[in-house]
Amino acid sequence: MELQTLKPGLETRELYVPEMAEITAVRRLTAMETLYTVKLPGGRDLGHRPGQFVEVSLFGVGEAPISVSSSPTRRGEFEMGIRRVGMLTEVLAGYGPGRKIGIRGPFGNGIDVEKFRGKDVLIVAGGIGLVPMRSMINYVRDNRDQFGRLIICYGSRSDTELLFTDELAAWEKDPRVEYHVTVDRGSEAWQGRTGVITTLIPGLDLDLPNTVCCICGPPVMYRFVVLTLRGKGLPDRNIYMSLERRMKCGVGKCGHCQIDSTYVCQDGPVYHLPDLAKLREAL
Amino acid sequence: MAQHFLEQAKADDFVAHLMKRHPVLAPHRRGRRSFAFEQIVEPSAVVLDYPRTLGSVKKFFLPARETLLEFDLGTNTATAPAIAPAPAVYLGVHSYDLAAVRRLDHNFLHGNPERNYVTRREGALFIGVSYTPDRHHFAGSVGIDPYDTTGSDIFLTKHPEGWIVDVLTPAGQDLLKGFKLATDARPKPKREHFTQHIYVPQARLNEIMAASYNHPVWDEASRNCTGCGTCNLVCPTCYCFDVQDQVAITVDAGHRERTWDGCMLRSFTEVAGGEVFRHKVAARQRHRVHRKFKYLSDATGQPWCVGCGRCTAYCTAGISIVEIVNRLVRDAEREEQVTA
Amino acid sequence: MANKPREASKPKVAIFDFTGCEGCELSQLNFEDQLLDILAQVDIVEWREAMDDRADEYDIAFVEGALSTPDCIKRIHDIRRRSKVLVALGSCAVDGGVNAIKNLHPIEEVRQIVYGEDQYLFPTLPALPLSAVVKVDHNVRGCPMTQIEFLKVFTALVMGKKPIEPDQAVCVECKLNENECVYAKGMICLGPVTRAGCNSQCTNFGQYCIGCRGLVSEPNLQGMAETLASHGLAMDEAWKRLQLYNAYRLQGVRA
Repeated sequence: MELQTLKPGLETRELYVPEMAEITAVRRLTAMETLYTVKLPGGRDLGHRPGQFVEVSLFGVGEAPISVSSSPTRRGEFEMGIRRVGMLTEVLAGYGPGRKIGIRGPFGNGIDVEKFRGKDVLIVAGGIGLVPMRSMINYVRDNRDQFGRLIICYGSRSDTELLFTDELAAWEKDPRVEYHVTVDRGSEAWQGRTGVITTLIPGLDLDLPNTVCCICGPPVMYRFVVLTLRGKGLPDRNIYMSLERRMKCGVGKCGHCQIDSTYVCQDGPVYHLPDLAKLREAL
Repeated sequence: MAQHFLEQAKADDFVAHLMKRHPVLAPHRRGRRSFAFEQIVEPSAVVLDYPRTLGSVKKFFLPARETLLEFDLGTNTATAPAIAPAPAVYLGVHSYDLAAVRRLDHNFLHGNPERNYVTRREGALFIGVSYTPDRHHFAGSVGIDPYDTTGSDIFLTKHPEGWIVDVLTPAGQDLLKGFKLATDARPKPKREHFTQHIYVPQARLNEIMAASYNHPVWDEASRNCTGCGTCNLVCPTCYCFDVQDQVAITVDAGHRERTWDGCMLRSFTEVAGGEVFRHKVAARQRHRVHRKFKYLSDATGQPWCVGCGRCTAYCTAGISIVEIVNRLVRDAEREEQVTA
Repeated sequence: MANKPREASKPKVAIFDFTGCEGCELSQLNFEDQLLDILAQVDIVEWREAMDDRADEYDIAFVEGALSTPDCIKRIHDIRRRSKVLVALGSCAVDGGVNAIKNLHPIEEVRQIVYGEDQYLFPTLPALPLSAVVKVDHNVRGCPMTQIEFLKVFTALVMGKKPIEPDQAVCVECKLNENECVYAKGMICLGPVTRAGCNSQCTNFGQYCIGCRGLVSEPNLQGMAETLASHGLAMDEAWKRLQLYNAYRLQGVRA
């Protein structure tokens, strides 16, 4: 890349003014997470890819990067699953339908769905990592004939922290979804599998060359999931990972999300594993 | 283009002439032994022969504090304040600071050209000036000579009797209209040498940096580092910023403000929930130096350090970026000899 | 809908003082331009220095001063019980402040020196910051408390959000203000380890930072002391400088 230089008549963009969008529905997912449905002015589509994020803006409070949880196939509104950590999400927790919030975005590269089309899709989601992955899962389900198998491995700390429980039940019933779930510690009511997310992988029967995987979860999870997938024989080139972290301005200016020579908010949050291997501080 | 001569005695007249055309910003004395760019009110207050200014001209294009939005909490609406174009002459800029402006340009132009920066930057005319390297300058090691005219519309080279004036662009030519300069050509003075050097070229430095991730120098150099962020904040190529909302005491309005930030600060990599990604000062020190000599140069082919020496000159703990880099170079070469 | 609180629910505010010079409270009274705006946002229900009224419960209690007697300890527990949000006001309340210098000496010796033969009438204890005894929700630092920080904390609380506590060195603000470094003038300065939030007001006026806003969360004290020493202070003197406002926090850090 050459250094960009100032040229006369250059078109610039207003990067920091959010658009006001209305919260149309609020659904409590767990004690910590809430799903917000948001409508842009005139019901305009956000125009995002699965895996992208928006900057949510509350005046007087600030901005925070939030991943989009709904599929682009859902028109007129979009959804964000938000965990209460930090000031903005704390204030947002007090907001109900009818309130307006600022939105900038969508930002980031998102998942290149073309790399998955015609292939078996393996989604590995840990904890809140299911929020952005749900966008991809629902995209695949809404375009079911364009993809091969849809295999979902979902891990959570406990069954009380499972997100989108009604949808999980629907995936479980759907004959065209292979849904596997495990929790680190189950409550007394939990009858499913117990153990960390990597324990779901060895048992999978994968058509390796034809399977493309996307992983999203807490930082500690990535390394172990990748090791297990490699052990299974899945080539690195078939693995993508979404690093949902550190973004601030969303437009590649503020420097916060820089990992080596890339900006997570521009070149990520979804990385191809062979590229990620070169980035020392990524994992 | 043309070469002229400005006699020392006419320097103030020259400044006064520029002031008739545009606001002029130039180095002034600040404090006991420092200098800073300020708008000229009195031509005689300008200092053209100075070692370095506290901050660079960056502050005019990317202000240390800037309002991005003004919001009304009653109506829940926000607007971006209009940014007026700021045609101005930046007089007495050193070559390394102009090299830094080119790097800032890149950051604010590539991908999403930012209106705030570009609007301020567009009207800038630069009159560069040569300097005598002091014990902290090492711009020569990153390929920026004290006489480098790149980016200048006019360049002044110090001469015992005044300044050799090189007019480099039509805009520079235009600035001189109506001011009479001597036209006698004078030989340029002998080049001056740096006393500080990094001992390898950037291409080699990339490799050395790549292999330095676990080098002990990061811990050793950070022993007395308090993580105060001064090295970031005085750096002419550091562009990172933080954004916070400020609310008026009447709690009905406020503004969203961006301020310079720095990767040496603990809070820089703190995310919602309190996790700090580069917790150790040594890891932050490594990130800073890698950003200057590896990360951004990997992406752009240019070192992001321009050799101004500010980070070292203004570090209260005496941490020297040149010493850190040369230590890595030495150890890399020693290792090569051993393996050879 | 807006983010502004409704008029009907003005927070009830109380202001208390413990061991200190009351300078922080005086600087509250000193707001002049903003005082009416402040009063419009809240109901002040208790403030010894400015009014006679008393109340039973407070939404926000601002507390000045360090704790230095058994009675202080009892009172702060009582205030905590009655307050939804408790804000420590000024260096004494946040860090123990200069009061805590006495902790460096045996308490009997302190009582003898200060009260002489009346020492048994005054049951003084080592000086404690409020946080050593009760949960403190937010801090307004400084000696006296930094007014701009008070306003930030105040507006945040009125809005119902958590105030952001700065955790950077004073150097950050000092550099944003493009001041000549105090060290370049041949003086020494505690800016590199002292918590910002004051807009570097002392160094803006050519003074050095004496550290009144307390230390950043993870200060490199040894590094700071070495830097002070390399600029001409004896090591012991360097540590004494650091102790001026941080004696409580530095107990046991270095003899």
